[in-house]
Amino acid sequence: MSSAATGAFGRDIGLVGWQIRYEQRAYWRNRGRGVFTFVFPLMFLVIFASLNNGQHLSTRGNIPYNAFFVPGILAYGVIATTYINMAIGTAILRDEGILKRMQGTPLPRWAYIAARIGSTCVIVALMTVVTVGLGVVAYGVHLRAGAIPGMVVVLVLGTAAFTTLGIGITRFIPNAEAAPVIVNLSILPLTFISSIWFPADTMPSWLKDVAKAFPIRALADGLQYAFDPRRTGAGLNAQDIRTLAIWSVVGIALMLRFLRRPQGE
Amino acid sequence: MTSTRDNPDGPAIEVRDLRKSYGSTEAVRGVSFEVERGEVFCLLGPNGAGKTTIVEILEGYRSRSAGEARVLGLDPADGERELRERVGIVLQQCGVQGDLTVAELIEMYGRYYKRGRPVDDVIELVELVEKRDARAKDLSGGQRRRLDLALALVGDPDLIFLDEPTTGFDPAARRQAWSTIRSLCDMGKTIFLTTHFMDEAQHLADRVAVMRAGEIIALGAPGELGGRDLRPAEIRFSLPAEWSLGDVPEIPVQQRSIENGRVLILTTEPVVAAQRITTWALERGVDLGHFSVAQPTLEDIYLELTGSGGEPEREEAVR
Repeated sequence: MSSAATGAFGRDIGLVGWQIRYEQRAYWRNRGRGVFTFVFPLMFLVIFASLNNGQHLSTRGNIPYNAFFVPGILAYGVIATTYINMAIGTAILRDEGILKRMQGTPLPRWAYIAARIGSTCVIVALMTVVTVGLGVVAYGVHLRAGAIPGMVVVLVLGTAAFTTLGIGITRFIPNAEAAPVIVNLSILPLTFISSIWFPADTMPSWLKDVAKAFPIRALADGLQYAFDPRRTGAGLNAQDIRTLAIWSVVGIALMLRFLRRPQGE
Repeated sequence: MTSTRDNPDGPAIEVRDLRKSYGSTEAVRGVSFEVERGEVFCLLGPNGAGKTTIVEILEGYRSRSAGEARVLGLDPADGERELRERVGIVLQQCGVQGDLTVAELIEMYGRYYKRGRPVDDVIELVELVEKRDARAKDLSGGQRRRLDLALALVGDPDLIFLDEPTTGFDPAARRQAWSTIRSLCDMGKTIFLTTHFMDEAQHLADRVAVMRAGEIIALGAPGELGGRDLRPAEIRFSLPAEWSLGDVPEIPVQQRSIENGRVLILTTEPVVAAQRITTWALERGVDLGHFSVAQPTLEDIYLELTGSGGEPEREEAVR
């Protein structure tokens, strides 16, 4: 690369940084969609964790319910702020012509997408801190320090998979009005068989196989591992990581397909 | 690496035999024109005539089926960043990040360009000073359109595309938009405008290309379009009941008739004709009512060229 090209690239990286700030500002100002996707999972955390405080799970060696539910709802929070927010947000950007407008500016498309993903990562990090913080302070769960590396790997892969899937699925959303329905239909049923709200340990094995094929189960399982008082070790479960990695690849492929189509024709 | 292939003395836009087909329908059927630097060039035509297709090909949003197109010396189909640095676009209908304020949006979009203009200069130019800190989603329709213009100007472009910039404006807002566009010409910008308003083309354009069904059917200065300057003028007046058309003196007329109870005289020498008629009327004490002399308007020419007001407007058909 010539020095001019490196200079231009450096400038674009700077632009990504600026764009993340604007995306953040817009997200936190949007009470309808932005903040909602952030507050919704926390609301569930408070309701379910309070309702079931003191309960124990017989199918999971009598561990406290909240040691299971806090990481479970964190998985849902990650999905809400990545997949749900990205898919609905991108459908709106497309339908309102904002993607088309952005395409007419010199900002490279990759830089714009990188900034939207970067902004989502900021939200996921905040979601993690708030959920774990609430869980530890209010509901007495314990995050094992030794499992943090595994938790981070699972969070990064989960964010990668669900963010790119969220952008990629926009291809199958005909208009912004249909977005919330399609997005929730594609995710909510799976959360019930993926041990987000309660342990789906006694369901038929074929349903377990279905759940294992999707990344929700892998994300929840990976996070629950770090809070499970029976476990030791770094929390790196090969199967969870493989599932999330595969879905990340699928998500990236879908995202690239969506992005290759020019806005306008 | 990037050498500029733009010749500053060449035309800003060059289009030769441009065609665009959607399936079996041909939306643009072999269009050719050139736009000079610093010129305001207007595509005028009914909706569905192919105006937006042409603009969006030149903006790089659509591919062409055949023909040549050069914008500032570059092929818009290549989607080069260099071109986007130098072109400002106001799309026909286009959303904006509504949760950000006017000033924030102008600052944000300004960063994308190498030679972004100062935020407050742009806000002042489009007269949004009092809405500086308002969120974009809270702006009125006219204010939103001015924000669109601001975002197209923030990169200090050489060439600005305006696709129906004043559709939906009230007359006052339209005049205001025209004066802003005029001030852009004074800054030496080249402006490519589409509109279906005759008066807009008349007020703003140096040259107008009239489109119908994917073709340019007339091209010229608004005053000369379709031979408008060579057309006979129309003199109209009403005669009191005791006088008839035959009593009106001989003048170099092309045609005289009664239309809606009024005399209509078509003449290529309106000054001489008017003088003779009024002298005759004053001498005989004839009280001529509603006396008027008019050159055919651009609207007359346009309706004649496009044929009975052109095709029905697509948007209106939906309403």
